[in-house]
Amino acid sequence: MRPTPVDAFPTATSASQAETEKVLIDHIPGDPTKTPPTLQKNAHMQFLIRNIVQGFPARYTSQDASQPWLMYWTLQAFSVLQVGLDPGNKRKAIDTIMACQHPDGGFGGGPKQAPHLLPTYAAVCALAVVGKPGEGDGWDDIDRKKMYKFFLSLKQPDGSFLVAHHSEVDVRGIYCLLVTATLLDIITPELVEGTAAFIASCQTYEGGFSSASQPYYSPSSPPTLLESPRPPLGEAHGGYTFCSLASWVMLQPFLASTSSLTRPQINKKSLLRWLVQMQGSQAELGGFKGRTNKLVDGCYSWWVGGSFGLLESLGINHAVLGAASSEKHTQAGTESAWDDVDDSLLNRKALQEYILYAGQHPAGGLRDKPPKSADSYHTLYCLAGLSSAQHRVFPSPIRRKEVLDAWRAPNSSDTSDEVRKRVFAEALSYTEEEGTETIVGGASNRVNATHPVFNLTVTHTEAIMSHFYGQVVPPRVFKGATATQS
Amino acid sequence: MTAPAAPPTLYSVRPEWADVTPVVQYEKANPLAPIVYTEEYKDATDYLRAVVKSGEKSERVLKLTEHVIRLNPAHYSAWWQYRYETVVALSWPLDVEMTLMDELADKYLKTYQVWHHRRLILLLPGAGAGRAAQELTYIANMLQTDEKNYHTWAHRQWLLAFHNDDALWAGELDFVDTMLNRDLRNNSAWHHRFFVVFQSGVRAGEEDRQRIIHRELMCVCHVKQHISLAPNNASAWNYLRGVLEFNKLPLSNVATFVKPYTVPLPDGAKDVVDLENPPPGQGAELPCVAAIEFLADVYEEEGGESTHMAVELWKSLGDEHDTIRKKYWEYRILQARSV
Repeated sequence: MRPTPVDAFPTATSASQAETEKVLIDHIPGDPTKTPPTLQKNAHMQFLIRNIVQGFPARYTSQDASQPWLMYWTLQAFSVLQVGLDPGNKRKAIDTIMACQHPDGGFGGGPKQAPHLLPTYAAVCALAVVGKPGEGDGWDDIDRKKMYKFFLSLKQPDGSFLVAHHSEVDVRGIYCLLVTATLLDIITPELVEGTAAFIASCQTYEGGFSSASQPYYSPSSPPTLLESPRPPLGEAHGGYTFCSLASWVMLQPFLASTSSLTRPQINKKSLLRWLVQMQGSQAELGGFKGRTNKLVDGCYSWWVGGSFGLLESLGINHAVLGAASSEKHTQAGTESAWDDVDDSLLNRKALQEYILYAGQHPAGGLRDKPPKSADSYHTLYCLAGLSSAQHRVFPSPIRRKEVLDAWRAPNSSDTSDEVRKRVFAEALSYTEEEGTETIVGGASNRVNATHPVFNLTVTHTEAIMSHFYGQVVPPRVFKGATATQS
Repeated sequence: MTAPAAPPTLYSVRPEWADVTPVVQYEKANPLAPIVYTEEYKDATDYLRAVVKSGEKSERVLKLTEHVIRLNPAHYSAWWQYRYETVVALSWPLDVEMTLMDELADKYLKTYQVWHHRRLILLLPGAGAGRAAQELTYIANMLQTDEKNYHTWAHRQWLLAFHNDDALWAGELDFVDTMLNRDLRNNSAWHHRFFVVFQSGVRAGEEDRQRIIHRELMCVCHVKQHISLAPNNASAWNYLRGVLEFNKLPLSNVATFVKPYTVPLPDGAKDVVDLENPPPGQGAELPCVAAIEFLADVYEEEGGESTHMAVELWKSLGDEHDTIRKKYWEYRILQARSV
C-alpha cells in the first residue's frame, strides 16, 4: 500500500495526511476473503433509535438550530436501512417537524426560530418520509403560498438566494430551495430566473464548485449584472459541488427553452476530473475528500460519491461511449443488457470498503473517520454514500416517457403546465437499474437505493410529488426479486 | 488551574427579567428525538423566544443574545434575527461589537455565523472605510491558526471583491506567498492566488497579461518552482492547469517542463540549469501521477498520432500508478478513441 508521496518535503498537510493513512491502514482486516466486511445494520439502527427514544445528548445543543436536520438525518437513515417508523412515532415526528414551520412561511431550525432555507429542505424531506395527505398528517399542513413568498423575498439580483433574512448567500441554500420547490410544485420560471447562471459562476478553475460568487454591477442606472468578473468565493468543495450539481440538474427544465447562445454553461470535463480526484488512494481506503489536499471524510461518500449519480443527467456516462452500448439508451426493454457492465466512473468497491472498514463506529452509528465518534449527520451521509456505491439510479428515458404519457393536464388553461410537466417527469424518471448492484460483503450488506438529486427513496419522492402535482404515476414494473416496496 | 465558574443565575430568578414571561420551545409536549438541553441553555432560549415575541430591543437583549451565542454559536436566529437587528435599532457602537466579534471568532473559528456577522457589521454605515484594511490584517492573523478555514478565506475574498480597492488588493500576492511558504500544499492559498490574479478583474500594474501569465507559470512564487520542490502536490498541478485553461493556452506550453516528472528520477544532478523548466528535486518521488496525467492531456490535445501515446499513459495510470481511478482512465481512453 503506497502512502501518499511526501517528496522529502514535509509540511503540515503531508503530516496530517500521513497520520490519517496510518490510522486507516490499521482498519484493513488481515484477510478480507475470510471475513468479509459486514454492515452492522443492527448497531446502527440501535444508535438511531436511542436518539429518537432517549433524545439527543446535550452535546447536540450545537444542532439546536438544525432540529429538522436531526429529524431528516435520522428518518432518511432509517429509509436507507430499509426500516419504517411505527404510526405512533410517525405522528410524533410530524408534530415535531410542523412545530418548526414559521407563520411567515418556511421552516426554522427549531420552533419559533427564524425561517431558513436549510431547515426548510430538511423539514420537507423529513415529511416526505413520514407524512401523508390529509389535515394533520404533514403534507397538507405545509403553507406553500407563504413558503413561495418567503423564497421570493430571499432572491438576489444575481440569481442567488440568501439562506435567511440578514444571512449569507450560498449554494447549499439554493439546493435546499430548489428541492423544496420541486417537491411541492412551487418552482416557477420567475423564482429561478438567473439562478443557473449564478451556479455556473461558482465553478472554480479546479472543476468543483465553491460556496458562492461575488457579483459586480455596471455603474449605469439601473445597474446591470456584469458577466465578468464574477469570482467564486472559496475553493472547490465537495458539499458545495454536490449542491451546485444537483441544482444544475433541477434547473435543466427551465433552460431547455433558452437559446444556446445565452444558456449558461459549466465545464463538465473539469468537473468530472475534480470529482474523480477527490477519491482517496488505496492508502486512504478509497474514501472521498472534500477539497484538494484535505483528508478523507465519510460524509463525502455522499457529497462527492453521490455526485457521480448526477453525471448521467449531464450526458456523462461511461457505457454510452462504447458504440454498441450507445444504442441501449434508445431502445426499450434492453436495460438488462447492462448486467455485466460496471459503468461507474468512481471506484464503487473501494468506497464501500472505506465505509465498511473505517466509517462504522464499533458502538453503532457512522463517522468521519476513526477514531472519531458517530453522529447523525455522518450516519446518514455514510449510508447514503454506501447506497450510491451499491446501486445505479439513473434517469431512465423509458420511465420518463411513462410518466409523461400519464400526465393529466389541469382543467384551467395554465401556460406554465409545460414546464411543470417537465419538472415532474425529469424528477421521477430516476430508476434503479436492476441487476447492477455491486455489494461488497454480500447481499446482507444491501441498503436501499436513494434518489441522487433529493436523497430520498424513489418511492417517497414519487409519493410526495404525485400528491402535490395532482398526478397518478404509473406503477413501476419490477422484474427482480428485490422489488419489495416499503 | 482556575476554579470552575459558578453557573450563571438563571433568567427565571433574576429580578431584572421578572417583567418577561419565558416562552417554551414546544407547546405540545413530547417532541420526538428532543435534545437534552442543560438547564442554563433551556432557560436562556426561553427568554430569547420571549423577547423575539415581544420585539424588545435593548441592551439586556444584547447581553441575552451574547449568552445564547456563547452556548451555541450556530444559533442563527440569535445572531441575525435578533442580535443584529438590536445592534441596528440601538445604534450600538460598532467598535464595541467588533471587539466582541474578535473574541468570539477566535473561540468559534469553525462557525460561519461569526464571519457573517462581521460582514453585516462592516456593511453598516458607521463601520468606517478604514475598517477594511484592519479586517484584512485580522483575517490574516486568524489564518495563521486555522490555515484552511473555508469561511475565513471566503470572508477575505468577499472583503476584497466587495471593496475592490487597489490599496486593499496590493498586499495579496505577498500574503499568498507567506501562506504558501508555510505550507505549499495549502489548496486554499492556491485558490486565493487564482482569485486575486485571474478571477477578480485586472489589478493596477497587472495590465500586461502576457507578463502576468509568464509570472504565474515562472517567476518567484511561480507554480513550476513549487512543483519542482514537491512534485506530488495536486494543488500546484491544478493551479498550473487553471492558468493555462483560463487563458486559453494549450497545455503543450509546459510539456518540456512536465516530461522529467513522468519518469523515474535520473541518477546524479543535471549540469544544465534551465530556469524556465526547473527539474525535480532530489527528494522527488517519481514518476508523478499528476505529471503523467498532464502529459496524457497534452497528447490528447495534439490529437492524431499522439492519441495513442495518451492512451499508453492512461493505461499505465489505470494499471500501475493510479489504480483507484482505473475506471476513469478507461473512460478517458474510450472518449479519446471515440473522437
